Amino acid sequence: MSAWVWAGVALLGGAGAVARFVIDSLISVRSDQALPLGTLIVNVSGAFVLGLLTGLNLMGNTLLLVGTATIGAYTTFSTWMLETHRLAEDRAHRVAVVNVVLSLVAGLVAAALGRAI
Amino acid sequence: MVAADCLKLTTYFGERDRVDGRLLGDALLDIYAAHRLQASVLLRGTVGFGRAHQLHTDRLLSLSEDLPVVSVAVDRRDRIDAALQDVLAVKRRGLVTLERARMQAGALAAEPWPETLAEATKLTFYVGRHERAGGQPAFVALCELLQSCGVAGAAVLLGVDGTRLGERRRAAFFSANTAVPMMVIAVGSGDRISDALTASAELLTAPLVTLERVQVCKRDGHGLATPHALPGVDEHGLALWQKLMVHTSEATSAAGQPLHLEIVRRLRASDVAGATSLRGIWGFHGARPPHGDRFLSLRRHVPVVTTVVDTPERIGRAFEIIDALTHEHGLVTSEMVPAVQALGDARHGGLRLARHHY
Repeated sequence: MSAWVWAGVALLGGAGAVARFVIDSLISVRSDQALPLGTLIVNVSGAFVLGLLTGLNLMGNTLLLVGTATIGAYTTFSTWMLETHRLAEDRAHRVAVVNVVLSLVAGLVAAALGRAI
Repeated sequence: MVAADCLKLTTYFGERDRVDGRLLGDALLDIYAAHRLQASVLLRGTVGFGRAHQLHTDRLLSLSEDLPVVSVAVDRRDRIDAALQDVLAVKRRGLVTLERARMQAGALAAEPWPETLAEATKLTFYVGRHERAGGQPAFVALCELLQSCGVAGAAVLLGVDGTRLGERRRAAFFSANTAVPMMVIAVGSGDRISDALTASAELLTAPLVTLERVQVCKRDGHGLATPHALPGVDEHGLALWQKLMVHTSEATSAAGQPLHLEIVRRLRASDVAGATSLRGIWGFHGARPPHGDRFLSLRRHVPVVTTVVDTPERIGRAFEIIDALTHEHGLVTSEMVPAVQALGDARHGGLRLARHHY
C-alpha cells in the first residue's frame, strides 16, 4: 500500500468523523426525544452508503478509502452502546431496548436497500 | 482566618462557551488564580437549561461536551469585588450571582454562632480530591462526621479546577490531581452544624469552610416550610432574588426517571429562567449511611444537587413544582440571593448587593 493510500485513509477518515459530529449535533440539538436520533441516523445512513458501495462492486483501494476509512469513521458502534447504557441508567428501559432493536433492524434494511439499488 | 463579611461569586454558563478562542471556564479560573482567591471551584453539571430553555444533558455523547458549568469563588468582600471587575470585563453569556457568606480559612476558630445561622446553616468544606483525614479520604471522613452530628444531609461535588487557600489546583489527565478542590455541601440546623464544625477541626489539617444562611423547606419529603416570601425589591429598590437547592439521589425516581431529571423537565416546561443539576460522587441524607455508586450496578446511587435561581415570585412557582415531585424524597432549601446579573445580548439585574432582613 502506498503512502498516498495511507494519507487518503487518514484524510477521509477525518472527514467521516467530522461529518458524523456535524450531523449528529444538528439532529441532537433539534430533537427533544429521549431516543438518541442523531446516532441512529448516522449509523443507518452509513449502513445504506456502505451497502450501496459494495453493490457497486468497488475494488481494492477505492473500497478501502470510501468504505473502511470514510464510512468506518462516520458510523459509531461505541456511541450507540454508550448512549443505550445511559438510557438504561436513567431507567428509560423501553427506549434503551427500542434503541438497540430499531438500530439493528433499520441498519440491516438500509444496508440491503443500498446493495439492491 | 475568620471572616464574617465574605462574598460567594457564582457563575453559570456552558462548557463550550469561549472568549477570545479560550474556554470561558479556563478564563474565569485564571482570574480567580490571579487574585489568589481563598476558595474557587469549577463544577461540571449533568443536566440543565438557561434563559433560552435549551436543554443541555450528558445523555447524548455528541452534546455532552456542552454541559452546564458552574464556577464558585469565595473570599473577603473586597477581594471578590476586585476579581468581579475582571470577571465582568469578559464578554460572555451566562448568569452571575453574589451571595453573602462567612468563611474560615487555614484554621477553624470557635466563634459565637451568629443569630442568622441559628435556624439552619449550609456548611461547605473545600477539600482536596485525594486529601486524607482520619485514615480515609477526607470527603468520606467528613460525611461520616456530619451524619454522626445529626446534620440533615451532605453531597460531595467534584471540581475540575479551582483554587484552595490561594493556590491554583487544576485537574489534568496525567496527574494524581491530589489537591484539586471538591465541595462537601452540608445542610442542617444551626446547632448541629456548629457541632460538626467544631468536631471537624480535629480532622482537617488546613480546613477551608464557608457558612451560609439557608431555610430548610423540605426534608425526606416532609414539608417544613414554604420558601420565605421575599419582596421583589429591597427598601432601596434593588432587586432581590432567591435560590432553591434540591438534594436528591440518582436512585430515586419520578415518572420513570431519576427524580432530578423529572424536576428539570417540569421546570423547563414552566417559565423559570434556568436550572442546573450537579451530580455528586458521595453523600447522604437522613439516617441511611453515606454512599456513592456501586460496582456493576446499572442504577446509580450518587447524590444530585439541583439549583434554581430566579425572582422570588417565580421561585414561589418553582417551589410548587418541586414540592409536588418531592413528596417522598429530597431535601429542599431556600436562600436569598442579594445580586444577580444575566449576561448576554440583553443584561438583566445588577450586581449591587440588596439588603433585606427576614
